[in-house]
Amino acid sequence: MVGMSVLRAGAGFAARLNPLKHGFSNGRLLTRTVPKTESAAVRYGSHGKQMFVFKPSDYYDRRFLHLLRYYILLTGIPVAAIITYINVFIGEAELAEIPENYVPEHWEYYKHPITRWIARNLYDPPEKNYEKMMALIEIESEKAEMRRTQMDVRKLMREKGDGPWYHYETMDKSLIDYSPKSTPDN
Amino acid sequence: MPDGFDKDVYPVPPRRTPAVEKQTGLPNPAEILIKLFQYTVDVPVTTFRDWVERQHERNRFFYYQQKFRRVPDLTECKLGDHLCNYEAEMQWRRDHKVDQEIVKVIKERLGACQQREGNSYLQNCDKEMNQFRQVSKAYQSRYGDLGAYGSAQKCLMKQKHRMIAERKEATAAED
Repeated sequence: MVGMSVLRAGAGFAARLNPLKHGFSNGRLLTRTVPKTESAAVRYGSHGKQMFVFKPSDYYDRRFLHLLRYYILLTGIPVAAIITYINVFIGEAELAEIPENYVPEHWEYYKHPITRWIARNLYDPPEKNYEKMMALIEIESEKAEMRRTQMDVRKLMREKGDGPWYHYETMDKSLIDYSPKSTPDN
Repeated sequence: MPDGFDKDVYPVPPRRTPAVEKQTGLPNPAEILIKLFQYTVDVPVTTFRDWVERQHERNRFFYYQQKFRRVPDLTECKLGDHLCNYEAEMQWRRDHKVDQEIVKVIKERLGACQQREGNSYLQNCDKEMNQFRQVSKAYQSRYGDLGAYGSAQKCLMKQKHRMIAERKEATAAED
């Protein structure tokens, strides 16, 4: 069995070496093909380079990256364009001394035009926050004051008994029945 | 730094370009590279910047530094006067921020001096070094270990303890 394959290999080898035995024309050396006797002839149209490449699917990865870029740039590009426009054509504010008899508005203390716009349209002036806080503190301190005085008044009136509070209605004395205690032998 | 800086605080060192004595007839490659850089990068960027500045010139607007009125301190507030306390606290916070910025400016001056002097900064930067030491020591003694929840009251208490310690030292020194 093994000898048969060796003989076959030897026959193939000899056939390859000696083209005259298979009746090849000697003139067309370049165009003749020499088939291997054991395996089928494989003729690559791409001269050996792997054209149908086997690799795992990158559909999901590419779809993800595409969608990522899409959704980022959907708002990213308009925002970048607007900010570039503002920085180039409107520009930042310049620092200056406060003119005489002029009270600047609360947004005129910021440099960048977008910050100024936000401070002007979206935020409350810091003075308003200050005053609101002061109002809350005032209300709470008045409440605390009231509660403290009420506590003191209650304590004193209860103690001394000479104020308008802590008057409890007592029964009419004529209704009291003294008969159980009227004689010492009861 | 851009143009508007104080020349006394950040002095410009004297130029030390040597007189050129060319001994070859060949062109200087450094000059060629400088010219190349100038024409490919410097000139377009400068023209663009000038154009942008011209657009800015058309509608100028200004911003100002907010000046706050001084209000009574924490030491001048009566005990239950919460409004006075609040105003004093806000003023203390503004002053704290200002002091932080002062320390940053002094630190930047020291850094600029070191950059300017190069390797001889240890002997030439004495003035800035002393100023920085003084300012940071003062900041540490006033605002030093107050912590994240530092307030005007805590700062005042710290000052009180400092004064007590000084008085104790003075009496101990007398004895």
